Amino acid sequence: MTRQVFSQAAGRPQRSGVLALRRKMIDKLATGMSWLAMLIVVFVLGSILWTLLKNGLPGLTLSLFTHSMGAPGAGGGLANAIVGSLLQTGLSILLGAPAGLLTGIFLAEYGADSKLARTVRFVSDMLLSAPSILIGLFIYMLLVEPFGHFSGFSGAAALALMAMPIIVRTTEDMLRLVPVSMREAGIALGAAKWRVILFICVRAARGGIMTGVLLAIARVAGETAPLLFTSLGNSEWSLDMRRPMASLPVAIYQYAGSAYQDWMQQAWTGALLVTMGVLIINIVVRVGIRGGRT
Amino acid sequence: MNENTMQVMPPANGEADASAAALSERPIAIQVNDLDFYYGKTHALHNITLGFPERSVTGMIGPSGCGKSTLLRVLNRMYDLYPGQRATGEVLFAGQNILGSGLDLNALRSRVGMVFQKPTPFPMSIYDNIAFGIRLHERVSRSEMDGRVEDALRRVALWPEVKDRLQASATALSGGQQQRLCIARTIAVRPEVILLDEPTSALDPVSTARIEELLDELKTDFTIAIVTHNMQQAARCADQVAFFYLGELVEVDSTARMFTAPRESRTQDYITGRFG
Repeated sequence: MTRQVFSQAAGRPQRSGVLALRRKMIDKLATGMSWLAMLIVVFVLGSILWTLLKNGLPGLTLSLFTHSMGAPGAGGGLANAIVGSLLQTGLSILLGAPAGLLTGIFLAEYGADSKLARTVRFVSDMLLSAPSILIGLFIYMLLVEPFGHFSGFSGAAALALMAMPIIVRTTEDMLRLVPVSMREAGIALGAAKWRVILFICVRAARGGIMTGVLLAIARVAGETAPLLFTSLGNSEWSLDMRRPMASLPVAIYQYAGSAYQDWMQQAWTGALLVTMGVLIINIVVRVGIRGGRT
Repeated sequence: MNENTMQVMPPANGEADASAAALSERPIAIQVNDLDFYYGKTHALHNITLGFPERSVTGMIGPSGCGKSTLLRVLNRMYDLYPGQRATGEVLFAGQNILGSGLDLNALRSRVGMVFQKPTPFPMSIYDNIAFGIRLHERVSRSEMDGRVEDALRRVALWPEVKDRLQASATALSGGQQQRLCIARTIAVRPEVILLDEPTSALDPVSTARIEELLDELKTDFTIAIVTHNMQQAARCADQVAFFYLGELVEVDSTARMFTAPRESRTQDYITGRFG
């Protein structure tokens, strides 16, 4: 077969020569375009990081972590916003991860192609791409208006609603990658289906599922819009989730739009903190995946 | 059917006849009667009647798609996982028709174990791979569990290779070791029957030889049914061989007679490599 192709090409040297030249040119062109596209993306990312570092690093002082937000010129920090972000993001994952995991397991293992599963999958994917401001408004109607005040809880709920579909999708995708033979081997030992799913399939997919959860954390940690209508923001130190709560993204939003030099400085530094946090999570995910493969 | 024909058939040669007679005297562990199997509308097995003699190896051969694996998956009701697959007829095991409804499938599968073509170690430690199956069906103390795990690993001759790394991940073992681990996992549950679906087709010759040796030892305690594409393997390991073609059981006989004097020309053609 291969020999035939070769002899055919040898029989028409001229045409194959032209073809080869054409192919080489297209190859060079495509490679060049890919490089160009890559360079643009890397340049944009590099530029963002560089600007953040250049403008953010000077404000990275100890008092930033020890003092709550204060009036312009009063020497406030971002401590309450940092803690608020940690609390709200943490609670949102505590709420969103179990729900997302269970839904993902249902879709992959039980629902399969049933009408219910297809509907749930569709709704979840819709939620995944829903504008985050809408999610904020939805939680506002559900948890803020009835109680008459903004709260850290409602902020966490809005973030959970954003994290959930990400976890649903990755959980389902990762479980579907578990080979059928693994399930059958569990069943063949006389294990009930739920045991096979919980102790074999989820275990086999745990690396990918964890990745999904971490990516969801990275995604919601930087969200501003869903928090504007829910936890609102708070310049005081507060750990009470029933009251309005500060968060880094909202603080950045408020400070960056202000006219005060020290607030603007803190907005840069806050942005640097959020970006570094997300970057670290992504690096953990990458290293984790590599470690899981070997 | 097989016992009758074995007795009626004229002897091919003295030795073959003796082994056939010895086999026909064994009690039957699983008796399949008039089994038909359907994948949706596809009729995959036609009227199969076949007995699996206790504590012996039954080899199932035939070209791809002939239904031998399908039959294997009926014997532990594996097909139940998939809607649209159904079996009619009778499969008698321990005095019960296992095709009947209301059967405890998990209990059945603890008595009829299965090993697959590709090694399927669970994503956990070597120790837990073995302990997983035992924990499903019994409550055993820590020390007893240690003993059961060691026993199972010793029976498949894996113990010397893994005894110092029982807590290591099972997926780090070689393919041949993984397959022996899967066999150990199956026998740890103490089944009566072990079904093997082309257990060596993904393994190298050395690992294959070890598994074949293992089968010889295991048949003193277990009834074994093995599907294989490898004719030599069937000749080496099996006491009786069943030849399947296009969903039918063409012929079943003692291994010696099957490979020296098959009654059917289709069997003759297949084992001499004329097709398949």
